[in-house]
Amino acid sequence: MYSVISRHLISASAVLLSATLIAPAARAQSRAETLRYVTAATVNTLDPNIPGSTREAFALSMSSYDRLVSFGRKQLNGKWVFDLDTINGELAESFSVSSDGLKITFKLRPDAKFHDGSPVTAEDVKWSLDRCVTAPVLGKAQLLTGSLTSADQFKVIDPLTLEVTLPRPDKLALPNLATVYPIIINSKLAKSHATPEDPWALSWLKENEAGSGAYIVETFKPGEQAIAKRNEAWNRGSPDKPASFKRLIIQSVPEPATRANLVERGDADLVIDLQASDVQALEAKGKLKVISTPQYNAVTFISMNNKIPPFDNVNVRRAVAAALPYDDMFKAALFGRGTPLFGASWADGTPPSGGYPIPQPVKLDLEKARAYLKEAGVPEGFATTFSFNVGQAATAEPMAALVKESLEKIGIKVDIQKLPDAQMSTSINEKKLPFFTEGIVAWLPSTDYFYRNFYTGNQRWNYSSTDNAELEKIAQAARFEADKAKYEAEGKELNAIHFEQMFQVPLWQPAQDAVMVANLDGYVYQFTRQVDYRNLSRK
Amino acid sequence: MGTIGATLIRAGRRFLSSLPALFGVLVFTFLLMRVLPGDPAVFFASGPSAGKEEIEVVRKQLGLDRSLPEQLGIYLYDVGRGNLGRSMMTGQPVAKDLQQRLPASLELTLTALVIALIAAVPLGVLAALRPNSLIDHGVRLFCSLGVCVPTFVSGLLLIYVFYYLLGLAPDPTGRIDVFASVPPARTGFLMVDFLLAGDVEGWWAAARQLMLPAFTMALFVIAPLARITRASMLVSLGSDFVRTARSIGLSRWQIVVTYALRNAILPVITIAGIVFSTMLGANVLVEKVFSWPGVASYALDALLVSDYAPVQGFVLLMASIFVAVNLLVDVLYGIADPRATVA
Repeated sequence: MYSVISRHLISASAVLLSATLIAPAARAQSRAETLRYVTAATVNTLDPNIPGSTREAFALSMSSYDRLVSFGRKQLNGKWVFDLDTINGELAESFSVSSDGLKITFKLRPDAKFHDGSPVTAEDVKWSLDRCVTAPVLGKAQLLTGSLTSADQFKVIDPLTLEVTLPRPDKLALPNLATVYPIIINSKLAKSHATPEDPWALSWLKENEAGSGAYIVETFKPGEQAIAKRNEAWNRGSPDKPASFKRLIIQSVPEPATRANLVERGDADLVIDLQASDVQALEAKGKLKVISTPQYNAVTFISMNNKIPPFDNVNVRRAVAAALPYDDMFKAALFGRGTPLFGASWADGTPPSGGYPIPQPVKLDLEKARAYLKEAGVPEGFATTFSFNVGQAATAEPMAALVKESLEKIGIKVDIQKLPDAQMSTSINEKKLPFFTEGIVAWLPSTDYFYRNFYTGNQRWNYSSTDNAELEKIAQAARFEADKAKYEAEGKELNAIHFEQMFQVPLWQPAQDAVMVANLDGYVYQFTRQVDYRNLSRK
Repeated sequence: MGTIGATLIRAGRRFLSSLPALFGVLVFTFLLMRVLPGDPAVFFASGPSAGKEEIEVVRKQLGLDRSLPEQLGIYLYDVGRGNLGRSMMTGQPVAKDLQQRLPASLELTLTALVIALIAAVPLGVLAALRPNSLIDHGVRLFCSLGVCVPTFVSGLLLIYVFYYLLGLAPDPTGRIDVFASVPPARTGFLMVDFLLAGDVEGWWAAARQLMLPAFTMALFVIAPLARITRASMLVSLGSDFVRTARSIGLSRWQIVVTYALRNAILPVITIAGIVFSTMLGANVLVEKVFSWPGVASYALDALLVSDYAPVQGFVLLMASIFVAVNLLVDVLYGIADPRATVA
């Protein structure tokens, strides 16, 4: 009896011992095959179309859903960035545009399957695109910018062919289909969860994923983490193989210092939203890989409301532009991490390019600023408020202090106003703020797109409340301009008007600092300003 | 039997009398949220392509297109049916969010409170036994340090030392290592669920994860608990019954623990109840620093983006917990000191 017990005890402890010895090894292996991404924000929906969806939600949906097409990549100053001009097939094996530019025909991959194993058909594609232009989703307003507005435009030719008809040739139609919203959904699965009140299964798809993408969502806890496993059957990557990581953990870590600690100790693999000071310190230590890409589709501004006095006077705006301490702000806010949009010299006083944004010929010159104020009829200056949103306090706070200090020298008294995010967006939407800082991003950064969206109309993104008939006319004309030389000329005209009228002052394009463990490879800066997990691998 | 019955009746009456207060909290929070500047519809319809139409869709979804009394009516009706609305931030029903996150907060707060009590009561007693001695001053210094260093500072400091420098603590994110598997959720309390699942290794992992945030919070509340213990111990040590006990020659240990401390513990219970309720709401910073998926950080995030439903749900939850804790303190009091039953 005694010996039996002791034998059991010995074998039990042997099992226990080996379990403890083996466990770390097994864990280490799964660790190597897992990508742990830590971020300040949270994935709050699995369907990127839901109003309020975060950029993290966009990033996960890029990996869990396929689109018809996707953007290629190119090198910019030695860093990989997305390339608007290369459109590759994703679910589409091939696509062709008719010679008059009015028809785009997509041939689907015959081997593409949804996560439940059912084949991806043209019916699914049509349902998904119909949903995007019909349902109350975010995709609707986005696809509008590519002349995609109605379900009638999508036609199923055969199970693997879909035809898209356009009312006029639109160079943004195809790129729009590569953005985050037109995801291709398993329509049979989605329809089975639709209700009469919710025919497009918006509420089900928010919490459930029905895609064909590289990763299958396993657990989704908004505010904490999302975990996805690799879709072994996915072959849309290059060169036609599944994604590199077996698992994907996207974890919310609100404290920036903790995110920095995690990646420095190698517990996290990648983080893109550290504080500039932490990035600098980590880069100096040299243990980690830091890829710093200028956000070439984003701009940070100091905006003036052109309808509120005294900013309705162009000379006041010019005075402000001449009194901003650009270099100090750039150093204090971003530690110099980004691309400055000030201090240029335009050879003959005209814009050197029709691109957007381009560096402006503005610099700190208090004498000039005083002269402009005099010309505006307010030589003693005036009092105003400068607002920024709490979410951007890390960069905006030091900037605001410098603005206040510098403008005081020409008599403009600035009261700094720090607003909670929701209050800031409300005030901007109601056009109540006279003087503030904001940032803009365009997914499809073409000159006309920027000008149409951010400088025309009574809409929220027109921060400076610009109302300039000439600018609007040129921007609208440029949208459908097929001739490249003419388009460039129109861009130059727009840039000239912008500088002449000084609606608002572009400051810089902040850098996106991706900090990662040294053996991580394949990072590409994306239009979503997020990570495309499918690109990444461990060396 | 009679005392238990009386206690129950008393508790029931106390509960009923707190209902109007809960209702008041409900209406007040509702109105407060609407008075605050910031339109949630504008904030949430803030995608790169969201215009007027999208804002209207969100406004309708949130029911903000109706009049204020109408909104309040709908809200009260919904709350009556246990529906606290839906969070725009997480996309989940608020009741579900709170239910998932409350155990995390409770587990953290309870652990911190236990640690604080274990440290504070002996400290308080020691200080009271030798008033104005070196020990007393030492305790006072320690308490002052604990209460004057903000939790996010002590939290970051603990992380820096124990995680970053020494590597003793696991990475300070969440309740459990992201690579570990979670036990089947029965109570929502990881420490309990792991035990129920018989997973000792997992239990240990979760306990290690819990230590740093719990100590951070405990440091902050040791001061009030130790001070109140000291004060009431001083009163009790100077009272007649202790003098009598001394005079009949009882041992020092018996006098201090059995007579003095037992009588001094009542105010400590009261303060502990209040401290607990305060900690639950006030641990926002600790939850933030340690990425702890609790209710307080959830409410703060919601407040920043004017997400009405979660904030209202959180305030209601806190009010209910406060009522429940006070009820519990009352009952404990009644049991400990029958004279308190006359209320």
